[in-house]
Amino acid sequence: MDCILTIDINTSAVRIHAFDMEGKVLGMQKGAYPTFHPQADYSEQDPEQVFITTLFVLKNFLNEVVHPQKYKVRAMCFCAAMHSVLPVDKNGRPLGNAIIWADNRGIKEANRLTNSPDCSNIYETSGTPIHPMSPLVKITWMRHQDPERFAQTYKFISLKEYIVFQLTGEYLIDHSIASSTGLFDIHQLVWHPKALDFAGIDADRLSTPVSIFFDDVPLKKEYCKSFRLSSATKVILGSSDGCSATLGSGDITAKKATVTLASSGAVRIASKEILADDQRRFFNYLLAEGYYISGGPTNNVGVVFDWYTQLLGNFNTGQEFEQVKAELLRDAAQVPAGAKGLLFLPYLLGERAPIWNANARGVYFGLNITHEQKHLLRATVEGILFEVYSIGKLLAAHRPFNSISLTGSYANVPLFTQILTDIFGLPIHVNPQVDSVALGTALIGLTGMNYFSNLDESSASVQFTETHLPNLQNHALYMRYFEVFERLSSKLEPDFELITALQ
Amino acid sequence: MGDLLKIALAVSKMNQQILHQGNAEQPENFPYVTELVKLKIQNVQLNTFVVGRQEGIKIGLITEGKFEWSIDGQAYTLFPGDASITFPWQEIGGTKGNFDIGALTWITIKPQVFEPSGMLSLGHWSSISVLEQRVIGTILTRSKTPILSRFGSGAEILNNLEYEILHQEIGYRTRINHLLDELLINIVRHLNKADNFRRDFPQIFLKLEQTLRENLAYPWTVEEMAGLVGLGTTAFAEKVKGFTGFSPLNYLINLRIGEAIKLMAQPHLSLTDIALDTGFYSSQHFSTTFKKITGYTPRAYRKKQ
Repeated sequence: MDCILTIDINTSAVRIHAFDMEGKVLGMQKGAYPTFHPQADYSEQDPEQVFITTLFVLKNFLNEVVHPQKYKVRAMCFCAAMHSVLPVDKNGRPLGNAIIWADNRGIKEANRLTNSPDCSNIYETSGTPIHPMSPLVKITWMRHQDPERFAQTYKFISLKEYIVFQLTGEYLIDHSIASSTGLFDIHQLVWHPKALDFAGIDADRLSTPVSIFFDDVPLKKEYCKSFRLSSATKVILGSSDGCSATLGSGDITAKKATVTLASSGAVRIASKEILADDQRRFFNYLLAEGYYISGGPTNNVGVVFDWYTQLLGNFNTGQEFEQVKAELLRDAAQVPAGAKGLLFLPYLLGERAPIWNANARGVYFGLNITHEQKHLLRATVEGILFEVYSIGKLLAAHRPFNSISLTGSYANVPLFTQILTDIFGLPIHVNPQVDSVALGTALIGLTGMNYFSNLDESSASVQFTETHLPNLQNHALYMRYFEVFERLSSKLEPDFELITALQ
Repeated sequence: MGDLLKIALAVSKMNQQILHQGNAEQPENFPYVTELVKLKIQNVQLNTFVVGRQEGIKIGLITEGKFEWSIDGQAYTLFPGDASITFPWQEIGGTKGNFDIGALTWITIKPQVFEPSGMLSLGHWSSISVLEQRVIGTILTRSKTPILSRFGSGAEILNNLEYEILHQEIGYRTRINHLLDELLINIVRHLNKADNFRRDFPQIFLKLEQTLRENLAYPWTVEEMAGLVGLGTTAFAEKVKGFTGFSPLNYLINLRIGEAIKLMAQPHLSLTDIALDTGFYSSQHFSTTFKKITGYTPRAYRKKQ
């Protein structure tokens, strides 16, 4: 049987799936690697470890699953987290670790860009919000703060480009990853001169932008041999994680939003047009040529619930973290909607969309003498999801939607799904058995190989197994809470500033 | 003093800390326990506990009062039920150079070998396996804190030790040896629990990963890695597989090859040096493993760069 491999290089691990040519999963293996925080604002990954892990998992997966089943690998299609920057020398050797999306070292450079006259032009042309996550800002940071490394750098690439370079010997960047760099013109599909100027580099210090369907570069023969793959195996560049997840979450022509709830989260909408916001609150990434994924990311989802678990979970019974967390979720489900008038702003890690304020901080609001620990717990979950709703509500104002596809690790948590559907007042579709990033990547590969005539058709092939419907009474109640939530978020802006100065 | 095992049931008055020396055993029987002292301090005396190095693994368990100690330059406050544990290369003493008012028990165990690297060999008396002794040594030396807070089981073991030494009933030597083993085992379990309390496995694993990275040349075993995070080997291997996708040893190989690739960029290092530095026992072993994962021999890989 023919199959296609998807290789997803995400923040915590590389995940390799095999799909048949109709998009059905045949098997999966993963390999994790760590993120390092050498300083408070820094988040880095070791490119060699990411590469070796990818090779190791690929090799094991082929030897343990693919070859024994006699699957014939027709292609491998790639996917990766956005925004990583890895400087390499002219031999392709990494100059230090890769700086990943979560890294905030460029906060000053981001502010400088925000205040520069080119800001609007760069945002509108590149589709990437002006934020330390943006490779444009990271490269600018390196130019000013680490000039020696900046000067030694032959090319600034991403972790995905590094893996592709290792496997093929070519520096290639797909339009989707390029559209998340802040340096790419998403309308003309070329590097944007104004952004390059701001970063202080020429286009030849970046990889060559190509289509996400690009497959015109062979796997090095050493790897064909070592993986026992035919030299005709196609290497398809593929897209980025957020874009692939949206494609793998069902019909991209429908009026729907895709919500991802994992350690961080996002709300996204697929469209053939850019979503223009004069306050620059949304991203517009390219899924493929002519397909835009617009939306906003939040920093504070699973990571906040983990924080709560660590802080207030009951560990005295000797239970492990995951069990304590599961118990908390059970307890929270017993508390009526609204947590007895307690509200939580979840900004423990500052926030990106929609308020884009790195100084935002967490708040419990409305505490009274009758509140118990369980109300804090319920309010925490609700607060996390009110924040997700605040992104969705803004998006809906530009482009209405009437259903939601939910993906990410929390899509399997019934409490999160129910509260989210109640807050939005919309039906939510879930496909808990499927990794939507991997599926989206497979659909790109299969579309590239003409198994589907276009991405619209490929996304329409995705089936959902579960639908959750809103409780409209709870929805009405949540809307009253959300009004306070929204007011507080904006009212506290100057106070966030003051309290961060004390931290 | 010196090698002599002494039981001192003491009440400190005036300048004397130890008023009564109890039963003394012949040194050849317990040369590895250099002191077991009970102190009761009723008034503060200057210079009774000046900061300095001590021999052996020294454990002090507070039974009454509140003690302010300085250990390796860091100040700690100990309350009843808390214990300190210090090693021969560490300095311990009262922050003001004296004992505070209260009561405590000291015990010092002198291992045959104990080094800051974590190398620990207790001696023939211990029934803990050689491998596990090494794990205990690693856990002790890697522990970030010299304080075992609310170390309840310690008091019971020390009381039983005292009873065995004073009464010398049949089998007391065996009992004493077992109690010493038990004390050490409880200490490392306590340190592990305190360290991993409220942490999820990814956090625990990240810490272990850091340790492995810092010592890739070391011949890590699964038992040791599991010991470092306070899990049994089966549970540990399962969790590592679930979280990382790899068996513990394959994860380690992964780290080793990644590091080797980095070192290969330095032209002055020979492949044999790189192999040994990254924990492969021979350049042959290195070469085979490297080829298996990367598809290249180390030599060819280096050349291609």
